Order: sequence, then structure tokens, then C-alpha cells
Amino acid sequence: MLAIEILIQGLIQGSIYALIALGLTLVYGLLRILHVAHASLFTLGGYLGVLITNATGSLFLALLLAMIIVGFVGMASYRILYYPILSRPPLIALIASIGIFIASEEVFRIIFGPFSISYISPPLQNQIDVFSGIMLSEARIMVVLLAFILLLGMNWLARQTRLGIATRASVVDPDMAMSSGVNVETIRYSIFFIGSAFAAAAGVMVSLLNNLVEPTMGAVPSYKALAIIVLGGLGSVRGALIASLMLGVIESFGTIYFGNLLDRDSLAFAFLILVLMIRPKGIFTKG
Amino acid sequence: MAYEMIVLTNMLIAILFAQSLNLITGFCGQVSLGHAAFLGIGAYTSAMLTKSGLPLVATFIPAMVIAGTIGLFVGAASLRVRHDFLAITTMGVSFLFTGIIRKQDMLGGEMGIAGIPSPEGGRVGLLLMALCLTILFIIVMIYIKRSWMGYVFDSIAEDEDTASIIGIDVRRFKLFAFILGTAGAGLAGALYAHQVRFIGPDSFGFVESVTVLSMVIVGGIGSIWGVTIAAALLSVMPQFFQVIDDYKLLVYGMLLFLAMRFLPEGLGGLTKTFRKDRGQT
Amino acid sequence: MSARTETQPILEVKDITVTFGGLKAVDRASLSLYDNELLGFIGPNGAGKTTLMRAIIGMITPVSGHIILAGQDISRCRIVERINLGMALAQQIIKPLKDMTLLDNVALAAGGDKLLSPVKAILNRSRQQQQEVANSLLREVGLAHSVHKYPTELPLGYLKRLEVARALARQPKVLLLDEPLAGLSKTEAEGMANLIMSLPRKGRSVILIEHNLAQVRRICKTLYVQHNGCHLAFGETEDVLANRDVQLAYLGKSE
Repeated sequence: MLAIEILIQGLIQGSIYALIALGLTLVYGLLRILHVAHASLFTLGGYLGVLITNATGSLFLALLLAMIIVGFVGMASYRILYYPILSRPPLIALIASIGIFIASEEVFRIIFGPFSISYISPPLQNQIDVFSGIMLSEARIMVVLLAFILLLGMNWLARQTRLGIATRASVVDPDMAMSSGVNVETIRYSIFFIGSAFAAAAGVMVSLLNNLVEPTMGAVPSYKALAIIVLGGLGSVRGALIASLMLGVIESFGTIYFGNLLDRDSLAFAFLILVLMIRPKGIFTKG
Repeated sequence: MAYEMIVLTNMLIAILFAQSLNLITGFCGQVSLGHAAFLGIGAYTSAMLTKSGLPLVATFIPAMVIAGTIGLFVGAASLRVRHDFLAITTMGVSFLFTGIIRKQDMLGGEMGIAGIPSPEGGRVGLLLMALCLTILFIIVMIYIKRSWMGYVFDSIAEDEDTASIIGIDVRRFKLFAFILGTAGAGLAGALYAHQVRFIGPDSFGFVESVTVLSMVIVGGIGSIWGVTIAAALLSVMPQFFQVIDDYKLLVYGMLLFLAMRFLPEGLGGLTKTFRKDRGQT
Repeated sequence: MSARTETQPILEVKDITVTFGGLKAVDRASLSLYDNELLGFIGPNGAGKTTLMRAIIGMITPVSGHIILAGQDISRCRIVERINLGMALAQQIIKPLKDMTLLDNVALAAGGDKLLSPVKAILNRSRQQQQEVANSLLREVGLAHSVHKYPTELPLGYLKRLEVARALARQPKVLLLDEPLAGLSKTEAEGMANLIMSLPRKGRSVILIEHNLAQVRRICKTLYVQHNGCHLAFGETEDVLANRDVQLAYLGKSE
């Protein structure tokens, strides 16, 4: 394979990581909680995407509905899961979150059955010649475009709206933001909505790329997304995005060069551990 | 009888395994989300050795030494990170372990190791060995708890910064906990390999690490008896109640969540609050 | 009986600078502490006193400068190494171990090499000797009645004294006390000040950060003043307190 093809592969994968990691890093920034159960929402998004597309025939509608529904589920997860234990040490929330995540895999199995579900007629499968013979399926192009659009939209929200500015303020300094009259709960709910909706979008994209969803599809991305936000310097959005793309690229090259030593999924963690040893608080943190 | 013996042996191995984590997480306050990797290291070491003809008893020491040595390295690496970062680093260890094993043809790769010989003395022998080793380990734990080491661990678990201002060499004590705890897991692994007689990368994944952590947490971080009871119950329940076995992840997951939500000090904490209440009235 | 002689100081702080995100909290601080000296360390709030103490004990890494303890440069040593070379710090923000009684809090600090070597720790069980030390220290700081209580049951004034007792349990050559009188009633403060005054006679050299100037004036012969992270004045207590710059710093810009 050409180096450039590997690079593109990596960037596609990285865009998906970015969509998942965004919600995680925002939640960490606001609440100092490692929200492992975030990946359950990713899986839920994937299922909704396949099921709604199969029922209505419209991928666009499926994507939209999945994002909205999962967004609300995300808000509910904040209320039920984290709100009651916010005052406890962060590890308590982390372990509770892992518990919910593991239980949710089983719930998906009970509701949707143990086997994978596929699209009846997989959308966006045509191959397009992007440039000089490099062929990509429409689905792959769509992943990158969607990630780009969503993240751009996010950026706009964060900079132009009152809510966005308030959110950024409270990530930097929760007490100051509170004393300046910003409703902290509103911010938390909206962060959970947006973060979860993005995870759902990532779920739909992955379901499209693999043409299947299964109860355990969240497992690997969930831990990897944790690795990413740690690498990006917990709570930093820009750091998480750069780390996502970097990891995507490193993985796709790594699989080729280290494939017989390590499998793809542990590569991320080898890299993570290596980085943490050199910079115990992540790459992109200051100081 | 054979079935009960299997269940009992499983239970003992689970207790030993959970106590080995209790030493790191409970006594010394260092959360590990990758402890199953050390169970795996012990299991692979012991299985390879018995397959080459050694008796099971002779593999206990090598299993402990290798698990403990790798534990030393992981512990040394973990010294650099704390709290959330430590949780994620140890989680990484778990994935790294299965990732490496999967690619090692010598260790059976994806397929794992089958045909692990039956231990000398058969099922009864294994049960007795498990019983002795588990009791021995618990005695060591009780001893540690009452020695100056337990005293020092208490302070590290509560507040590392204060411990070092008092003059405690926090690093060394943490490393010691890691070595002892991972060696204990290696020992449990040696028994485990000969209990199931087939091991593969998936036997020691992240879910197994979470399972053992849930035993320690539900039992009450640091409480020897709480963890013993929790490990016994959580390992036996799935074998007696088919429903629980079918929905094991749901049960463990919800238990973890509910324990964190309503009983953050675990079963051991329950008795502690009880004792405190009584003491005050 | 002048403490300041031509001999080598027990603790030398040379040109220590500490920055937080570009802001200089301590700017080239230098001071010397001699054997059996009680040095008062004052300055308005935000002068960087606590920061300098933390840099001396090793909780903060300064960007430049040296710390020399009994002739040995310890600038690169870890906290635990510095403490075991004979330093102790009673912090301004008290950090008791909440799950232990006061007795156990202090006895732990008296553990000596059992706190350094896991092997020695695992081979020793008796705490009797350390508990005796702890008992007498707690009596000295006026906590004899509360030895079996838990920190959560006690008011701040008691815990400040616990902090001092715990630092003393280390039997330090150099003792850093960060506002040990804060939160104590007038009589309690007087008693604690008397205790602090007696320490140099027992072979402890003390740096005392304190806002209670009445007590500082009473017990300290020499004073070091820091303002906005910089050295402002040093000398005999009365001379320093009469110094115009010092008076201005205290009256003018005490945020």
C-alpha cells in the first residue's frame, strides 16, 4: 500500500476517534470525570443508525435521529449516573462509569440480540477516485466530511454563542464562571447532549464503514478514546483532536510495521504508556 | 462431588486473586484496572512449565517471580502517574498484555494453550493446594495489616503528599505493594491455568480485571474479610444461578455502579460504620 | 549567647526563585539559619513565605537557586530524602490523616527507618515505643486529653497543634513552622509560642512563619522579612520592626 493511502486511512480513523473523544474531553474538563460509559452511547448511536436506516431507507434521517435521541440519553446519563456522586472522589465516578458501560454491553445483547446487525442495502458504498488512482468509498469520504462539519459547528458554537462562551469559561475556572451568573447545570446538560450526539454520529459512521453493529463495538473505542484524551492533556479540546488524528495515523502505519508484534488495539496503549512515562500529564498540557 | 470441588476451587482462586489486588488497591490505595494481566502471566508461565514436564508445585515460585518482576516494572512506570492517569495506565497494561499474547506463536497466539496437564493429585490435589495457598496469603495479608507496613500503607492510601511530608518513602512502599500483589496474582494464575486447563488471551482481558476490581470494591477497599466474602459470593453465584452466569456482565456492571452509588466503602465499610456508630453511642 | 557566629549555617537558602505560570512567587530569596536559632519569617499575605517553605522542603521545584542543609546541597533531593536528612515542616494548611487517631498520626511520624524500608516495616509490629514518644509530644502541645480522638472530631486549633507535634516527632534538626499559632486562642497561642521558644535549647533550629507579631516579637531574636516574593529586611527583631520599609509593606499593601 502507498504511504499516502495509509495516511488517509489513518486520518479517517482519526476523525472517528475525534468525534468520540470530543465528548469525553469536554466532560472531563467540566466534571473531572472519566466518562467511560460514553462508549455505550457510541454503540447506541450505531444501532439506531442501522435500525432507522433499515426502517426508513434514509441514512440522513437515521443520523439526525440517532444524534438527537442519543443526545437526550446522554443528558439522562449525567442526571442518573454522575449527578448523585459528583462530590465523591473522581475514581468513584470512574468505576461507576465502567460498571454502567459493562452492563450496557449486556443490555444491548438482550435488546438487539447477540449477533451483529447489518444494513439491508448498505448506503454510500460507491468507490470514488479521489486523486490519481486512490479510491475511497463514499462512506469514508462522508466520515471525514461529517467530522469536519460537526467540529467546525462546535467551534462556532463555542466562540459565538453565549452558552459556548460560558462553557469555555467554566472549563477554565468553574467557580469564576458560576459567580458570573452562568447556570452550571445548563452547561453540563448541554455538554452531555452535544458530546453524546457526536458519539452517536461516530457510531453511525463506524456502522457504515464496517456495515455492521454489535453489542461489543464500543469496547475498543471507549478505552482508546480515554487514551486519546489523556494524550491530548485531559480536558483540552484541541489536544484531543490532534491526538485523535495522530493516533489514527500512528495506528495505520503501526499495524503495517509492528503488526506481527502487537495488534492494532494495543498499539494505542503502548504509545499511551510510553507518552505518559515521558509526560505524566499528557502531551499537550502546559508545563 | 466433582462439581462442588470445581466450584470450591474456583472460589478459592478468586479469593486469592482478589486479595492480591486488595493489597495494591485496598492497602496501598493504587487503583489497578489491569490486574488480570498478572493472573495471565502466572497462568502462562505455569502452563508452559507443566507442559514441559514440571510438577505444578514447582511452578508456583517461577509464576510468582515472573509476575512480580513484570509487576515491578509496571509499578515503576505507575509511580509517575496518579489517580485517573494511573487507572488509565493500568488499563493500558491490560490491553497491552492481551495484545502481545495474541501475537506470540510460542504462547499459542490467538488460540491459547490447550491440554494443560492435570495437576498431581487431580482435582482433590488442586483444591488442597488452592486452599493452603489462599489461607497462607490471607495470613500474610493480616500480618501486613498489623505490621508497620500496614500502618504506612494506610497513610499512603489516604494521602500520598502527607505521607511523604511525614518522611515516608512512598515510592518504595508502592513498589513493594505492586511486587507483592502482582506475585500473588501470578500464584492465582498458576492455579487457575490448571483448574480450567485451557487458557487464551481472552481469559485475562479487561473485563476480568474489572471483575476482580469489583470484588475488591464491593468487598470494601482494604477490608480482608469483606473482600474474601465478596470474592466468594461473586465467583460462586454465576455457577449456581444460570441467570447470573448468562448476564454476568450486567450483574457485575450494575454491582459496581450500585456499590459506588450507595455503598462507596463496600461490605467492609458497612461493618466499619456499624462499629463507629456503636462506639459513639 | 549569640546564635549568629562565624560557623557554617545549618540551613542555607541561596537565590531561590519560584515561578507559577510566569509569575514570580519567590524572587531570589536567600537566608541562613544557624544552629539552635529561632528565626522569625514575616511578610504580608501573598509575600511567598509558604511557597519558599515548600521549596525548601521539596514540595515545589524552584526554577533556580540552591538549598544547603548542613553543608550538603539538597536542591536535587526528593522530599523524603530531605526529611530524612533532618528537616520537618508543619504546614499552614493542616493535613492530618483522618482515618487515624491523633496518637497514631504522631506515632507514625516517629517511625524512623520503618518509614524508609519496606523490609523493616514488615518485620516490625510493635508501636509501643513510638506511641510513648507521641504521647509525650501531644502532651507538650496540650493535646493530652484528645490522643485517642480522630481529627474529624476536633476543631482547627487542635489540629494545628497536631501538625506541630507530628513535625516534632521527626526529631528534626531544622524545623519549618508555617503559621502554627493561627486559629489558636490567645492563651493557646501563648503556650505554643513558649513551646516553640524552647525548641532551640533542645537542638532544633526553627524557621517560624507567623502573623501574630506580638508573639513573634516576644520569642524571636532575629527576623527575616519578605515582600512580593523579594527579600525586604533582615536583622534583630526590634530593628527590623522599626524599619520603615517593613512598616510600609505591612500597612501600605496588605491585600
